[in-house]
Amino acid sequence: MALYDMSRTAMTSDLPLTEPVLLILLSLAGQPQHGYSILKDVERMSDGRVVLSTGTLYGAIRRLLDDDWIERFDEEDASRGRQAYRLTQQGRRNLQLEIDRMKHITRLASLRVALKER
Amino acid sequence: MLAIYRQLLRLYPPAYRQQFADEMLAVFLDIRADIAKKRFFAQTVCVVREILGLIGGACGEHLRCFLGPDSGFPLRGRSFVMRNGFRFPNTTAVLMVLILCGVAVAIKKGEEIAMSLPHVNPGVEPIHSVHSALLPPVVLLLIVFYAAGLVGWTILFALRRSGVHRLAQLSGEQK
Repeated sequence: MALYDMSRTAMTSDLPLTEPVLLILLSLAGQPQHGYSILKDVERMSDGRVVLSTGTLYGAIRRLLDDDWIERFDEEDASRGRQAYRLTQQGRRNLQLEIDRMKHITRLASLRVALKER
Repeated sequence: MLAIYRQLLRLYPPAYRQQFADEMLAVFLDIRADIAKKRFFAQTVCVVREILGLIGGACGEHLRCFLGPDSGFPLRGRSFVMRNGFRFPNTTAVLMVLILCGVAVAIKKGEEIAMSLPHVNPGVEPIHSVHSALLPPVVLLLIVFYAAGLVGWTILFALRRSGVHRLAQLSGEQK
C-alpha cells in the first residue's frame, strides 16, 4: 500500500514544521491576516495551548518572508502598523506537504493500533 | 509597560526594527487592550511572555546577523526526525571558544589591574604577578577539560552505536 510518497519530502528540507510555524501557515491558509489576528487564530486553533508572543510571531514572520513562504499583502484600508500577510505558492505547497506527512503518520498509527487491538 | 516594550524593541538590529517595530507595537497595543479585562495573574503571564519573547527574538535576530539567514527562527521541528549521522557538537565548540576568550580577557584585565597598583613597599620581597600566579593553573585546567572533551567525543565517534544508528541500519535493511 503506497501510503505516502517519500520522494515528495525531498522537495523541501524544512519538514516537519515546528508547531507555531504550522499554525501560522494554517492561519494564513484561508485568507490574508494581520499580526494580531494571526495571534488570536493560533490561540483558537490550538485551544489556548499555543500562545505566541509578538517577538516569537515576528521572528517566524521574518523567517517565512525571507524564505518566500509568505508575502506582504497591501490592503487599501490598511492603517499604519497593520500589515497583512498571505501565503505564497511555495508556502501553500510546503503546507500541503506537511499536511500530507501528518496524514500519513496518523493513518499509519491508526492501522498499527487497530492491528494490535485485534 | 509600553515604555518597557519600546525599550526592549531597541534590542533588535536596526534593519529589523525598521521593518517590524511599528507592527509589533501595534499588535502589542491590541494585546494590552485585550488583557486589560483579564485577571492580574493572566496579565502578569502575558507581560512576562512578551518580555521573554522580545529578548529571545532579539537574541535570535542578532545571531542571525552573525551566522546567516538559516540560523534565525526555526521552521523545522525535531519531532519524528531521525538523524543517522554523527554530528559534531557545534554548540559545545562555540561555548568552549567563548569561555576561552572570557578567560583570556579576564587574565588581561588582571594584568592591567596589577600593573596599575602602586608599589609603595620596596622592602618586601618580589611578589609574583597575577599573570604568573593564575595563568599556569588556568591553562592546565583548560587543557584537562579540552582533553577530556576530546576523548569523550572520540569515544562517541568511534562507537557509532547510538539508537539512531541502529534505527538507520534497520530502515536500510527493510529497503
